[in-house]
This record gives sequence, C-alpha cells and structure tokens, in this order.
Amino acid sequence: MSRAASTPAPRGTGVVRVLGIVAVVALLGVLVATPLVSLARGALDQGWSTMAEVLRDADVMTALWHTVLLAVIVTVISVSLGSALAIAFDRAMIRATAGWRLALLLPMLVPQFAVTLSWTQAYGPGGFSDHLFGVALPGLYGPLGIGLLLTVDSVPLTWLIVTAAMAVRREPDLARAARASGAGPWATLWTIDLPLLRPALTAAAAVVFVSSVNSFAVPQVLGSAQGYQTLATLVYQQLTLSVGPEAFAQLSTTALLMVALVLVALAGADRGLGRVVRGQARYGASGMSPASAGIRSNRLVVGGVAAYVVLTSVLPLLALVLASLSRAAGLLPEPKNWTPSNYVVALTGQAGVALTRSVVLAVVAGLVVTVIASLVVGVGGESRRRLGTAVTLGFAIPGSALAVGTLIAYGTWLGGSVIIILMAYLAKSWALGHRALLAGVDRMPPELTRAGRASGASPVTVLRTITAPLMATALATSFGIVVLFALHELTMSSILYGPDTATFAVVVLNQQQLGEIGGSAAMAVILTLPALLLLGVGTLLLRRREHRLHPGEVRR
Amino acid sequence: MLYTSVTQETIDAVVGGYEKAHPGEKVTVFRAPTGQLNARIAADQRSGGLRADVIWGTDPLSMRSYTDQHLLAPWPLPQLTSVPEQYRTPEFWGTRLLYLVMVAHKDLKPQPTAWTDLTNSAYRGKVAVPDPAFAGSAFAALGYFSQAPGMGMDFYGALRANGAKQVASIPDVVTEVAQGRYQLGITLDSGARTAMKKGSPIVIVWPKPGAIVLYSPIAMTAQTARPTGSAAREFMRYVLSTEGQQHIADTGWQPIIAGVPGPPQPAGATSVSPDWAALFGHQQELLATYRSIFVK
Repeated sequence: MSRAASTPAPRGTGVVRVLGIVAVVALLGVLVATPLVSLARGALDQGWSTMAEVLRDADVMTALWHTVLLAVIVTVISVSLGSALAIAFDRAMIRATAGWRLALLLPMLVPQFAVTLSWTQAYGPGGFSDHLFGVALPGLYGPLGIGLLLTVDSVPLTWLIVTAAMAVRREPDLARAARASGAGPWATLWTIDLPLLRPALTAAAAVVFVSSVNSFAVPQVLGSAQGYQTLATLVYQQLTLSVGPEAFAQLSTTALLMVALVLVALAGADRGLGRVVRGQARYGASGMSPASAGIRSNRLVVGGVAAYVVLTSVLPLLALVLASLSRAAGLLPEPKNWTPSNYVVALTGQAGVALTRSVVLAVVAGLVVTVIASLVVGVGGESRRRLGTAVTLGFAIPGSALAVGTLIAYGTWLGGSVIIILMAYLAKSWALGHRALLAGVDRMPPELTRAGRASGASPVTVLRTITAPLMATALATSFGIVVLFALHELTMSSILYGPDTATFAVVVLNQQQLGEIGGSAAMAVILTLPALLLLGVGTLLLRRREHRLHPGEVRR
Repeated sequence: MLYTSVTQETIDAVVGGYEKAHPGEKVTVFRAPTGQLNARIAADQRSGGLRADVIWGTDPLSMRSYTDQHLLAPWPLPQLTSVPEQYRTPEFWGTRLLYLVMVAHKDLKPQPTAWTDLTNSAYRGKVAVPDPAFAGSAFAALGYFSQAPGMGMDFYGALRANGAKQVASIPDVVTEVAQGRYQLGITLDSGARTAMKKGSPIVIVWPKPGAIVLYSPIAMTAQTARPTGSAAREFMRYVLSTEGQQHIADTGWQPIIAGVPGPPQPAGATSVSPDWAALFGHQQELLATYRSIFVK
C-alpha cells in the first residue's frame, strides 16, 4: 500500500509509532473532541426538535448555500493561481528571489480583520482609486467582493504549500526522461509535474476550503450590504441577539453543521489523496522536473505576477498604512492630515503588554503545533489519514463556538488563564500545520530514510539527520502559518481572556467598536511587522539550509 | 468581576475612579463586544455558573435576555432616585444614554432635518442604515421605526425604494459617510462627534421628532456571592454617583442622572424612545420582517 511512499518518520519501530498514535489521539480528545461534545450537548439541550428546526430554517439553509458556493469557488481559483505561481517559480519563469517570495506572501501577513479595510480604502467608493481616477471596484460590497478577497487572501497559502512540496525533493529523472523523449515543457508540466503535485494540491485545497468556510471578518463587512450571510456570520449573529438556551442550541447546531460540511469535503479530498499516494508508490522514484528544464524566463509572466502583487498587496497595504496615519476618516491622504497618535494608542499602556503577550502566545502555538503536527504526519499510512481528518475538525469549528466549547469543558479549572487560550489556538490551527507538513512529506523520498535505517541509524538519528533537514521548508511553513493565524485571531482570545491575559485582539476589537479605522489600521500594520521580520529571517535561514542541502540547485 | 460591553476608555475611567475612591479594592473586568460577551456568559452558564458579579451592557435588549435566563438579581439599590423611571426595570437600571442621530456629509445640500427625510428622493441611493442584527444599539432604530406612528415597517419599504443600503455596523456608517460612499445615515452621536472633532467632514443632525435614545443598563447578577455582593452594590452605586457619572460624561456619553452635564446637544434637542417592553422577546420576528422588506 502506501508504505513505500508516505512514511518518512521513525515508523520502523512499532513502539514509537504506537506511542505517537496514542499521544495524538489523547491530544485530539482534549483539544478537539471534548469541546465538540460540549457543543453537541448544547445543540441537544432543547431536544432534537430544536435542532431539526434550525436545519429547516430558511436563513440557515441560505447561509449554508452561500458558504458552500463561496468556499468552492475560492478554493478552485486560489489553488489554480497558487500552484501556477509555484510552478512559475520552479520553472524559472520568475527568479525565486527573497523579494518575490516576500511580495507574494504579503496578503497573508495582513490580518483578515484589516483586509477588508485595506481593500475598501484602496478600491472602494471614496477610496484611493476613486479619488485618483474616479474608479471604484464594482461589486466589492457583496458576494463578488467576498470571493475576491478570500481568494487573494488564500493564494499565498496555496503557493506556500505547493512550494513546500516542491522543495522537499527535486529528482529530475522523470521530467528529464520526458523531455528527452520529445515532450515539450507544457506537456511535461501537464503529464509529469501536475500529477506529482496532486497531494500538495489536495492539501492546499483542503486548507483553503476550510478557511473560506470559517472566514468571518470579510463576509461580515462586505456581505452585510446585501444581507449576504454565511454560516460564520450567522453564528456570530445568533450570539449577539440572545444568550438563551434556544439561541445556544441554534449556535451549536449551526457550528456542527459547519463541522459536518468540512468533514464531507475533507473525506473527499483525503480519499483522493490516498489514491494519489498509492498510485505514486507504483511510480517508484519520482520527482519534479528540474528548474533548468523549464520554460525560460518569460517577461509576460513576470509582468503579470508583478501586476498581481501591486494590485492585490502593495496598493491595499499602502492604503492601510495611509489609513493608519490619518487623523480622521474622510480626510485626504496628505501629510497635513497625518498623525502618529493611532500608533501611540496601539503601543502604549495595556495595549503594548497585550501585544507582547499575543506575540509570545503565537510563537508558542507555532512551535507546539509544528511538533504535534509532525507527530500525526510521522504516524504514516492509513492512521495518518484518519487522524488528519480528525485534526481538521478543530479548524472547522467557528472560533466563537470553539471558544464556548473549550470554556465549557475547561473553564472551571483553566478559565482566564493563558493555557486555555493556547488550547483553543492549538485546536484550531493544528490543521494548518498538519496540512503544511503533509504537503511536504508526501513528496519525501522513502528510500532515504530506509537507507538511513539500514545503515544502522536509530530512528531519532534518522529524524534528526535526514527527515528534519529535508522537511525544513515544510516545518517552517507550518510554524509560520500558525504564528500568523494566532497573531491575527480576534474571536477566540477575546472570549477566553482573563484578568491578566488580555491579548491584542481585545484592544483591536475595542478600536473597531469605536469605529476608529485609524486605530484598527495602525494595529493591523503593527501586527504585520513581527510577521514580516519573522518571514525575512526565516527566508534567509531556509535559503542557507537549502543551499547546503542542494548546492547550486535551489539558489538560482 | 465585571462583565461589560461598554467601551474601554469609559470602563477604565469609571473603574479607575472607583478603585481610587475605595483603596484596596480591585475590580476585575472582562470587556468584549456583545457577541463575545454573550459567548462567555453562555459558556459560564454551562460550566459552573456565571462568574460575573455585575453586568454592564450597552442596550436594554441584551440585558433583557439575561433577565429571561434568570441571570440577574432584583435591583439592589432601590433607594437611588436619581435615575428616571423610564430607564428602570425590576432588574436593571440605565447608567448613561446613547443617542441614535443622523450623520451627514458636511457638503450635503440640503441637509436633512427629520427621520422621514431619509426617504426623500433628494437622497436617493445616499443613505446608510446599520445592520440591526449585529448590535443591540442598531436594533433600537428598527425598534423605534417599527413602532412609530406614521412609519412602521412601511418606512423600511420606502427606504429601500429610495435606494438606502445596509452597512455592517454603527461606526461604519460614520466612516462611510465621512469618506463619501454615502451622504447620510443613522448612527450614534458619540462616535460621530469624536470623528468630527478629529476633522472628519461630517455634521450631526438631531432629527425630528428626536434622537432615538437607548440606555446602557447595569445589573447585579443572581450568582453574586455574599462577600462580593456588597462590593458589587458599592460599584453600582459609584457608577450612578455624581463622580461616576462625570467619568461617563468625560468619555463622551450622556450621563443618566440630571445635574451632570453631558456632551453638547443642539438647542431644543428632543429625543424619542422605542417602547422597550413591547420589543422584548420579539427581536427575531422583527428582524425577519425587516430583512424581507429591506434587505432581500
């Protein structure tokens, strides 16, 4: 079966593997299952009839339809665009400089709560483009705008995951053979590269689908104008209107509906993935085509990507920075209307402390998730697939509902502590780390670890000297994605925080409640800075490491 | 422990003042927007009971939903007479007043003068209405219009016919009018005043027959244990004292007790109020009707 292709970690020793499975199952029980059970009990509090009523409710069904439609469209476009970019880099159509990498990752660094702000400031009526050229982006407020922003927001993620998969291994035999047999670059791409990338594409699609289903900030602001509800906005609305048992049953049922939706989608994706992995095992040695065999630098592609980066990242970010400097809404973006006061608010007093706490929490979450995600991936085989699906359930639960479930389960002992916030972060972002690692590990050459073991190396040595270095990009991707997620998260920590554990989210939400777009923008800018720094350092370290591993090939 | 959705600056001022006046006492605050606050309360209820001694909300409707859950104790300070009758219920009393007014771009001509002007064809496609489902304060407008004689839900039909649009939140109305996406809309006076002070090109219109007033209520919870009970009462007493009310006024809100001057209002400003008692328990129906008329 999938033995040959999919198991790089210390699977050889049965005991280690069993211990790994036990640890993962225990963690899943604590982080995901227990809160989910709390929610399910809430859904059934009022009996099955209330649950059935919710499922028959026209608003819920409309929101479900909107959610599915958006998620499918966003996933298809984002995966196509993200992998096209990854391939463009791999085929040296674009030189993979650090600058390009940073530019493509930019949208991910902007917190979702500020994405809408940055776009409406850049392209909305009364925004940048409207001021300068009298043109506003039509349909920005409504389903089109929501879809567009979610796509732009998720393209870096798919690009990262596909790139991580490509970086794990470059074994050019297959592609060279194809080219030698007369296949053109496009035919090679179509018949060799894309099929080999399917595991990564599936992993990316799963992450994008689930995050679209879960997205709250974007549809809340842009959908409201047309009464365009998604399940995530509906859940929040149910919470705002009432705190009664019926409302709670509604909320829990809607949350479980989201979990079910994601489960169905993932089951499909993972089954597809399983088939691909098994198919690949028959291929034996396989690999991406080498960079040198690619289509040569192509000005059109570079121009297109540059335009994409400018339109989707640079201008919205510029608009965000200008908004953060603005004294008040509606003033022209001129120096005389600028003030540093928004930054002062964001950095002084409690806000500064909260920011530090958020950064530390995010880094810890990033580390822990990367470790526990490696555990799942290390398990290998059929168990990995099943555990992976279970891990993703945590991500499927909307933030507000997951926070409620976690509080019900552990509030008595851990309420108000940093631990409970961390637990919710882990439950929710484990899937992000998992998918990032999975994309990489499925392209790991199994014979390397086997050779290591055969030469007498212990599983730990194999992990340290072979697997970890090869997986460096995937591990770093996992860490980075989780840190960003935790830094940008607003809902869960604002429900879970206690007297001495307020996160930056609490400060941000207050600014939003006050309608201080300058303050919100300044906070978004501040949140992107540590991420930029981290990314810059990470890119540098990785390049060094890759250079050591594949001298001459990666740095081109 | 205080659970509240009141904005941070006001909470900091009032709690700071209270702690200064009561050396050695410490108020623990959980502050979050209503949705998050309700999530916390729902979780508390299902894991050992509400942890708050006092809840200080933004609007009477969410407070009423706590009453229905038997979360609140009977009002513990009946001897305070400074709070007007209409802002009292058996469990919670008002602490400050919030006014829903019109905000208009300063270049808009002619400026509107009455709520009914929102349906005037001169403002076709220029009106922003905050989503009543996302905040209790925005719901107050829906509550008032649905009950007001000569308006009712037909008013929303007329608004829609006039091209009025829903935006996500009350502060969004101010931002979008300031930036010119809309020319006028319904919002809270405090946010509009802050934006104006900072230089946003907007004006506040105090429409006829009056600004829609809602009160921000406070209550002691039923769970309050005896030792914290007296502190909870003391805190509530402070919020309704001249000093506490002054802090409220200083942070931009209208104090509820007479004699403490609030933010400026135009001469002869009047206010109207929804009949809260008639709205309690009917939010969902009203929202459904609203959506069928105005949004879909």
